[in-house]
Amino acid sequence: MIANAYELIVNILTAIGIYEPVYGFFQSFGLEYLLRIIIVVVEIVVLLVFVLLSVMFLSWLERKMFGWVQSRYGPMVTGPHGLFQPIADGIKLVGKEDIIPASADRWIFTLAPFIIFVPALLVFVPLPFGDTLILSDLRMGLIYIIAISALSPVSILLAGWASNNKYSLMGAMRAVAQDISYTIPLALAAIAVVLYVGSLSTVDIVRAQEGTWFGIIPRWFIFMQPLAFILFLIASIAEMGRIPFDFQESEQELVAGFFTEYSGMKFAMYFLGEYAHLFAVSGVVVTIFLGGWTGPVLSPIPVQITSLVYFIIKTYAVILFAMWLRDTVPRVRIDQLLNLGWKIMIPLALLNLLVTSFLLTARVI
Amino acid sequence: METDELLINMGPVHPSTHGVLRFKLIMDGEIIRDCKVVMGYLHRGTEKLAEMKTYLQFIPYTDRLDYIAAMPNNYAYVRAVEELAGIEAPLRAEYIRVLTMELNRITNHLVFMGSLLLDLGASTPIMYGFREREKALQLYEMLCGARMTFSYMRVGGVREDLPEGFIPRLNEFIKDMEMRIVDYEQLINDNEIFLLRMKNIGVISAEEAINYGMTGPSLRGSGVNYDIRKLEPYSIYPDLDFKACVRKECDSYARYLVRIDEMKESLHILKQIADTIPAGEIITTQKYGIAPVTGAPTSVMPYFPRIFTPPEGEVYTRIEAPKGELGFYVVSDGTTKPYRVKIRSPSFCNLVAIPKMVVGLKIPDLIAAFGTIDVVLGDVDR
Amino acid sequence: MNAAEELKQAMPAAVVSTGMQLNKPLAIIQKEELLKVAEKVKEMGFDNLSVITGIDYRDRFEVIYNFFSYKKKENLVLKIILDHEAPAVDSLVSLWKVADWLERETYDLVGIKFTGHPNLTRILLPNGWNGHPLRKDYDMETEQFVTMGEDGEDIVSTDGSNLLRRK
Repeated sequence: MIANAYELIVNILTAIGIYEPVYGFFQSFGLEYLLRIIIVVVEIVVLLVFVLLSVMFLSWLERKMFGWVQSRYGPMVTGPHGLFQPIADGIKLVGKEDIIPASADRWIFTLAPFIIFVPALLVFVPLPFGDTLILSDLRMGLIYIIAISALSPVSILLAGWASNNKYSLMGAMRAVAQDISYTIPLALAAIAVVLYVGSLSTVDIVRAQEGTWFGIIPRWFIFMQPLAFILFLIASIAEMGRIPFDFQESEQELVAGFFTEYSGMKFAMYFLGEYAHLFAVSGVVVTIFLGGWTGPVLSPIPVQITSLVYFIIKTYAVILFAMWLRDTVPRVRIDQLLNLGWKIMIPLALLNLLVTSFLLTARVI
Repeated sequence: METDELLINMGPVHPSTHGVLRFKLIMDGEIIRDCKVVMGYLHRGTEKLAEMKTYLQFIPYTDRLDYIAAMPNNYAYVRAVEELAGIEAPLRAEYIRVLTMELNRITNHLVFMGSLLLDLGASTPIMYGFREREKALQLYEMLCGARMTFSYMRVGGVREDLPEGFIPRLNEFIKDMEMRIVDYEQLINDNEIFLLRMKNIGVISAEEAINYGMTGPSLRGSGVNYDIRKLEPYSIYPDLDFKACVRKECDSYARYLVRIDEMKESLHILKQIADTIPAGEIITTQKYGIAPVTGAPTSVMPYFPRIFTPPEGEVYTRIEAPKGELGFYVVSDGTTKPYRVKIRSPSFCNLVAIPKMVVGLKIPDLIAAFGTIDVVLGDVDR
Repeated sequence: MNAAEELKQAMPAAVVSTGMQLNKPLAIIQKEELLKVAEKVKEMGFDNLSVITGIDYRDRFEVIYNFFSYKKKENLVLKIILDHEAPAVDSLVSLWKVADWLERETYDLVGIKFTGHPNLTRILLPNGWNGHPLRKDYDMETEQFVTMGEDGEDIVSTDGSNLLRRK
């Protein structure tokens, strides 16, 4: 049984007959661990490249979709249908002057963009892209994901404070208030699923969703836990800080919120971080509620490929939903959002948890 | 815990102050404790310029007041001068004037709708609004060559007759708009988030609204049944069938709905005009002023005086512009230039009520309330 | 009987004369009595102060108030004649809130003082501007330069010294 991507690589290398001689070569120097390090580095590089390409594609897709909804074309000039627009944007941003305001706290101001980008990438560690396509199947994977996601307001607060700008500070304060009130329903909604699965491992959660009811309805948790799914989705969008919950940067009120003072590459880091976060959170939603990589097996094709395709399709469906939401609705007010979080979503999540645990104890489900 | 009040200078360059307006806000966290409006960043001294131009030279300057809806500015000034000089425009000219003004009311409210929703964070409606507005602007382009700053009206008439094919295209526009307004209503009016942001925000009662000098759709949103087109009918409005759109709720949502209703009424007016526009002169046959040196009046180049001296006197004329009551106080001393022109701009007077509306609310509410007042900074600062 | 004549009957001492301004009743008022007259006018149902106009006639100033009544749908024009030296008149802010800005504008552009106004500062022009542009003797030759200071207040100079960049 292959557990993660490392073992998968070893298996493939063994099957084509490369692994043994290479392993023997390293063994002769007593450096087996070096081979293991190389394989892990390759995994990380592949993941990074995949994420960065996805982020670039997403930024193009977002603008394109914005265009379609608004009855215009969106980017059209650079490349076919403006496909190279993200590259042009990247070059432009790298070429820009990196301004640090005179009254800003230089160190924290420089550090903050990196702190937002790193957690967005770390979420990918226990995220199963497909059958066995996972960096590490952590036993407390779900807790890890929620904990890492909760790091982003720290970076936003650092950025807002270090900028020494009133709009930035207000944006940062909003982000923190918003995040505290939305991590709780997020975790509570996820725990209802965990109760049923009996494990925090993301792989176990996906495996529990394999198969179908009556041969047609897939056993996804969206059907078993619809309320939890809705709560989790709303909380995720709030976590991502997208319209209708984009208070940290709400353009029309706070100019650009916490990154008002940023320019050039640091601004690009926020931009990348935002889309990496969008991808990661959508992946988590798919993993927990939409059956992760599960789908019909097409026997001649390796299950790794089909499962990866299923996962990507589902993730993009969630991403497109988030983008569609951004294109259509206005922004709610910060106090209305907090009201929604504390007075409606947390009680509902608790109720959902209560009902789920009751039914589980009574062995109804 | 000890807290401190925060001073925020919102503007003069800010995404949602619709230009160069500045709010000086004293904030207690997210709550506005005090709001002062600072303006004048776009002050061009239009009233002083008027004293240095002849009566006709000043017409283009009126375009630059409320540049979103310039035709009513043209008309208000021209009508003030006409009243002063006792000139009457022929019927066809009046029909064309009302046609252009009502069309401008629609374009103004489309921009209003788009920018209000943009201020609330929904970026799509502004594109839809501008898409329809573009068609109206093309009509204007057909009519006078300009899209926003028309300088189309003249004392005693209009600059040019309707071009060939104008009325069919207008009818097309009306048909299209009628469909689109239904779209907007379905898209926006019942959106839960929109209602959350609009209802009970920026409330101002009818008495207060009158006392604070609010006019136009903003006042009608407070339940005052008033419309200068009805109260002091001018031009051909008495012959037209339309109603003043009034809402009783006094909040931002009511002000928004009034404007949507007004678009429908304007379409109704346009339809009547398209059906009944009479043939005839487009400029008065009454000879006033000094004729241009070359050429006799023809249908293409009618008779326009370059220099014109109305009799001594003063007049205050007001019309119902898309944003409210637009008045021109014109004083003539019997020379070729006005002695004094005072512009009573709707945006300026409507803005007085903003601090009253928003103290105790939050920054997002300030933006929502300010959006529904619908000001243009060219009109505020003059 | 129109509104101006009604006013004359009620307060014969305050109203100098009545007449018509085209089709609107006009009353010329003693400037000392303005506040009392305005109270009476408001009582008569003129709830809308439409506009305040200040005019410089070189030898005198005129301030013109255009009123409208939403209840009776009538117009009324009040006119006050002021000396050319130090023109000042009572403020109507206590009766009509809109007078706040209209009076500030008149002060700013024409230079008429409104006594009793809570915050009679410039509104369209920056604080510290020299002269009142709508006066006929306004000096249009001198250029004035405006910048914004650190505290958000305007700085005006005639030699452009405030335009120099700080080190």
